[in-house]
Formats: sequence, C-alpha cells, structure tokens
Amino acid sequence: MSATTAVGRSGAESWRVLRLPLLITCVVVLGVLVVLIATAARTSGPFSPDSAEPTGARALASLLENHGVNVVGTEELRDAVGAGSDRTLLVAPGGSLSRSDWQRIADARWSHVVLLRPSARALEVLAPGVQDVSLGLPKGSRAPDCDLKAAVQSGTATVSGTSYSAPDSAQACYGDGINHTVIRLETEGRIVDVIGSPRSFTNAELATDGNAALALNLLGTHLELVWYVPQYESSNASGDENDGGKPLIPPDVRYVAWALAFAVFVVALWRGRRLGPVVAERLPVIVHAAETTEGRARLYRRSRARDRAAAALRESAIGKLHKAHGIPRRAEPAAVVTTVAARTGRDPAMLYELLYGWPPVDDAALMSLSQELDLLTQEVRRP
Amino acid sequence: MVVTGRAGALAAAGVVFVALLMPRWAGVGVVVAVVVLVCLVDILLAGSPRRLQLSREGDTAVRLGEQAVVTLLVANPRRRVKGLLRDAWPPSAGVQDAPHQLDLPTGERRRLTTHLVPTRRGDRQAYRVTVRSIGPLGFAGRQGSHNVPWTVRALPPFKSRKHLPSRLARLRELDGRTALLVRGQGTEFDSLRDYVPGDDVRSIDWRATARRGNVVLRTWRPERDRQVAIVIDSGRMSAGRVGDAPRLDHAMDAALLLAALATRAGDRVSLLACDSEVRADVRRPAPEDVLPSFVNALANVDAELVQTDFRVVVSQVLERLGQRSLVVLLTGLDPAVIEESLLPVIGPLLRRHVVVLASVADPRLTEMEESHADLIEIYGAASAARTRLDRERVTAVLTRAGVTVVDENPDHIAPALADTYLALKKAGRL
Repeated sequence: MSATTAVGRSGAESWRVLRLPLLITCVVVLGVLVVLIATAARTSGPFSPDSAEPTGARALASLLENHGVNVVGTEELRDAVGAGSDRTLLVAPGGSLSRSDWQRIADARWSHVVLLRPSARALEVLAPGVQDVSLGLPKGSRAPDCDLKAAVQSGTATVSGTSYSAPDSAQACYGDGINHTVIRLETEGRIVDVIGSPRSFTNAELATDGNAALALNLLGTHLELVWYVPQYESSNASGDENDGGKPLIPPDVRYVAWALAFAVFVVALWRGRRLGPVVAERLPVIVHAAETTEGRARLYRRSRARDRAAAALRESAIGKLHKAHGIPRRAEPAAVVTTVAARTGRDPAMLYELLYGWPPVDDAALMSLSQELDLLTQEVRRP
Repeated sequence: MVVTGRAGALAAAGVVFVALLMPRWAGVGVVVAVVVLVCLVDILLAGSPRRLQLSREGDTAVRLGEQAVVTLLVANPRRRVKGLLRDAWPPSAGVQDAPHQLDLPTGERRRLTTHLVPTRRGDRQAYRVTVRSIGPLGFAGRQGSHNVPWTVRALPPFKSRKHLPSRLARLRELDGRTALLVRGQGTEFDSLRDYVPGDDVRSIDWRATARRGNVVLRTWRPERDRQVAIVIDSGRMSAGRVGDAPRLDHAMDAALLLAALATRAGDRVSLLACDSEVRADVRRPAPEDVLPSFVNALANVDAELVQTDFRVVVSQVLERLGQRSLVVLLTGLDPAVIEESLLPVIGPLLRRHVVVLASVADPRLTEMEESHADLIEIYGAASAARTRLDRERVTAVLTRAGVTVVDENPDHIAPALADTYLALKKAGRL
C-alpha cells in the first residue's frame, strides 16, 4: 500500500503535462493581442479616416496616402494640440470641445487647419469673421465661382449642408453668391479652411463630381495630416473644470467595487469547492404495482364508462354472494336471486334489477348502485 | 487547492481597507496580493493529501436494514495533515457519518470508521476517499482523492425468518419425530424398532417379528431428498412496488423461507432467477450452504424491465431437474402475461413436476375496492374489482391446468408458500 491509491495527477506531473499546452496558449494569445493592437482602428464613427461605412472617410484617407500624405487618425485632443508647423490639422465635426480646447488648438501653431462643419465656438477662435448663417444649402452640383486655386482646379463639386458668410478678406467658394460652403482665410500666419459640406468627402459621395479632387487639393497642402475626430468626453478627460459638474458616482466607489468583487470571488471559491465529487449511481425504476389498475380507473372516469364500471361492481358483488351463500359457481341468475332474496328478505324483482339490471344512466345512479351493492354484500357478511 | 472562510474574511477586510484607507488601484492590488500570497504560503505549508497511505478493513456483507462498519486506516509518512476526510459511497450505501476531522502528525496512523446502513439490495462500492489538508495558517490548503476500493454487499433481509420456528414445528409433526407412524402416501420406510404398548398394531412387521422373536414395528417417515426448484421471475412483473419494496424483494423473502424449511425437511433446494436470461443460478448446494449461497446469489438481482421469457424458464428448469420435483415459480399474476406466455409453454413442466405459482398480491387493490366515498373512488373500486376478477379467472385456469396458485399479500406470501409446501409434503405429492 503506497501512494498509488491517489487519484489524479500530482503537481509535478500536472506541470509536466500542462506546460507545453500552456506555452502554446500563451504564445497564441500574445500573438493575437499584438496583431489586434497593431491593426486596431484608432478612430471610428462618421468622418473617421478608418471607417469604411458610407459616412466614414477611409476612401479619402487612402487617396491621400496614395498621394504621399501621411494621414494620422486620432481621437485624442493631445495629438491635436501638438507642434503644428508644416502640418495640416483636420477637425471632424461632432464632439464637445470647449472654448479653451479650441484655444489650445489655435495656440499649437498649425500651418493649415481644416474645420469640417465647425461650431460657432470654433469659428470664433480660429476663423474670426466667418458666420454660420444657419441656412441649409440644398444638395446640388455647383461651380467653384471664386479664385481659390484648389477649387478652380477641381471644377464642379456636389455640395450640401451648412453655409457661411465670409469676410471680404476670405476666399469663398461653392455657394449661392451670398453664402458659401468652402471658405479659406489666412490669419495669424496660418491657413484656415472652413468646410460646411463634410458629406461631400465621405465614402458615399467622394466619387461624385469633382469632390475627390477638391478634397485632395484642400488637404494635400502638407505631407503630414493629423485627422482629429473629437469625442464627446474629451473635454472632461482634459481636466476642464468649466463645463461638466461633479460626477454622480464618486470615483472611489469603483475601487471598492473591485475589492468587493474579489472578496465575492474568494468567498465563492470557499463555498463552492466540494469535498470530492458527487457520487452517481444507477437507480432501479420504481413503479407502483397498482399503477395499471389506477390508470384503468382514470380511463373509466374520463370516458364515463358507467356500463363497464357497473358490470365490474356487479360481477364482484355476485362473486361475494356466491361465496357467502354457497351458490354453485355456474348458477343461473334466477337461482342466485331466489337464494339471496330468501336469505335477506329482499324483493326478488328489485334484487334482479340490482344484480343483473341495465347499466346506470348517470353518475348518481352509479353511486347509488355501488352503495346498494355494498349494503347487500355487507348484510351477507353479517347475517 | 481550497480556500477557507478565513481567506474570504481576509478579502472582505480588504474591501474595508480599500474603502477607508486606499481608494486607488494600488489598494485593490495590495488586497489581492496579500490574499493570494497568504493562500499560496498556506498551500505550500499544508501536508500533502496525496502522500497519505490508505487501506481498508471491515464488513463485506450486511443484511439490508442492518449496519455495516468499514474501517479506513490512514497513515501519514510525511508532514502533518490537518483537515477533513470524506469517505464517499453511493447514496444508497447509506453513509451515517459526517466527514471525519483529521489531524495526523508525521509518522502516525489513524483508524476512521464509516458506518453504512444500505437502503437497497446489492453491491455497494466505495467511491473515493477525499482528503482536504488545510495549511497551518488556516487560510487555504490542498485537496486530493484516493481510490481505496471496498465492496459491501447488502443481502436480502430475510424478514420472514420469524415464521421459520412455527413451520419447523409443523414439519417435525410431519416428520415422525412426533408419533406419526402411519404408513401412507408421501412416506417412506425409515427403520424397525421394538413394539411399545400403545403403538398402532397395523405397523407391526410380522416377518421381522418372526425372525427376531420379539414384536417389531416398522416406522415411516415423510419422503426425503426430494428436489425443490425455486424460480424467481426477475422480469418486469417483479418490478412493481408493493408496499415499500418491489415484488421481487417479497418474492426473495418467500423463497428464502421456503429454502430454509425445505432444507430442514431434508430436500435439495436449487434456485433460479430468470427473465429473458438467467440472473442467478444456485444448483443444489450442500444443506448448510443453502441460505448463504441463496442470499449471495440474490443480492445483486434487480428487476429488469423486460418481459420474462417463460420458454427460457421452462427449458432451464427442465434441464436442471431429473426426478419428479417441486417447482415453485414466483411471479406476478398478470392475466395477459400468464395466458399468452406462460400457459402455452408450461405443459412439459406440468407433466413431469409439481408446479406451484406464488404471486404477491397488492393490498392497495383491496383498499381501492373497498372505498366508495365519491365517484372517483367508485371508478377506482370498479377497476380494482375488474383486476381481482381477472386474477381469479386466471387462477382458476391455472388450477384447472394443475398448478397450485398462492396469491397473498406481501406480509403473508412467505408463510403461505411455506404452508403450501408443508401441505404438499403431507399429501405426498412431492
């Protein structure tokens, strides 16, 4: 008798058996993680350079890449406020940038800033004089109608959406003569493009008209393009105290919750570990011997088989009478009735009806028949 | 690997620590690290359950309803093992003890007893011994199992033993040990002895008297060395539960009483349990070995959910029995089964042997037949009456064919079968 009775593998054996699969699993998991991180889309949503949706702008981004422009998509504000000389910054619409965020972008000395459907706050900081006139321009193919070189070279473009009124110093194109959707102005040594029709640059509409040429001409001014897609929580993450009140849940609760989760896990381990496995065994089938008889009783009841029930009760009662009175087994009904009537003093006609009569017509008749038969056999038993 | 309630309490204290002192990721990290470290240290310090040496001794058989004691010897050649030990058996082995507390210092041995009260007949095999060894700090430990095989056989209970003395007394009456010296059917010549006044003069052997010179008497005794074959139907008819046990168990009880009685009467008893194939087979054991061998053979017989093939039964019985014998068939009295499968094949058996068919009746049917309180019960009574009438009809058919039928409630089947045997013996039909 030695340790051979032990069940399962020892620790060393388990390690020996499991190390290779563990190693392979680790390598595979690590590899997958690396690939995922390497290929992960850095941006998402409308006008994102990584999105292939109809509202995305991956087509434009790859066109720019093909023309030698290095497109860097980002959702982080800190990429948009980095050193900006000799680089282009594109700010996609959306997000919740505060005035100070815009000011930081303005302070970053970008050579060229492209604002896609900017908010009034952005226009105030980066493009003073340009006004959002809150007038939707109907969708249509329009001529540049200005002397901006990039626009003139592109020819007609399909534009729609917001239009702006421009100061006299600016070059304003693609409009109805008063308001325009593409405006370029040069202030504080940088070029600012305000584009009110970002839909023209999406995957869906880039191929129509001269949209692609216009986009390439506008964005391809520098070899590096930072494509910033603002997010809605970016202003909070930047630590801006001006907007956004105190969060409803104090941040400490999160750590307590994690500690609690760990405690629950440990308690679950404690309570959940059983002392050895459950032992199973084959059990015999248990059927009550009277099952078939009970089943037949239910069948009688369900099909209202009063005739069969009455026949069984009568036959049983006659059998008991046979025994009690010593009547021969094969006696005629008349003989039985005569004998029993003589012994019990009952009316032979009624006795005949009781023992050999018609089946009961309803449940009440069956009940009374059963009671009468019962009485008769009881009487016989105690003469 | 196991953790204890203490580890849970430590982790819970960690929640308070994080909430009050370090509401940072670092705080969570500290708590997790401390708990994991303490548990790891404890696991490393705990004695290994795998190194324990286990062996068993104790009872291997027990009558159903009685208690078996199996002892587990645990020796620990290595570091102290402290914790719990569970001796796992299947549920129907009826383990009475909670897991044992174990505290086994290096080099010591312990004797742990497990008490079993099996709830079903048959072999019960020990499953595993699982040891949980908790480390010295009491936070975590190791757990391991050992396979220490042992089998306890739960034997048929033989509850009808209590009827044996009275039947043996009646047997002695038959047997000539009391003054019953009349020659008749079913007796055979025993010996000659001197005449004592009061003896029946008809028993005087005149020829021997003439030879010896004094009056000599012949004595007679019931026939001995007859063969009794007990056949238990282990098919679906025996699976039905009557009272608190299947028909099969009641049949076994009756078979054991009959076997004990017939052995005392000097007859040779053999046993066959059969459905579509033979489940238990004991052929004419030595008289002192009859009950043990029967009980052992029957311990593992369970009712199978198949229709008994009476052709197999009849051919098996015919093959075993040479001389004229008593064949006792313990089965159900299901009219359809009897008429369709037993009656067509029982002919050869009846021609050569005396056949008794014993069946366990269900008291539930009588109960159903006697209750008339409402409509539901009346239909029940009608159905029960129909069942009884059918049984009576098939009993009549069997009796006409020459089969003696014993149909009794579970409490009475064993003594009734014994009485039938005695009556047959008295009538000299064996």
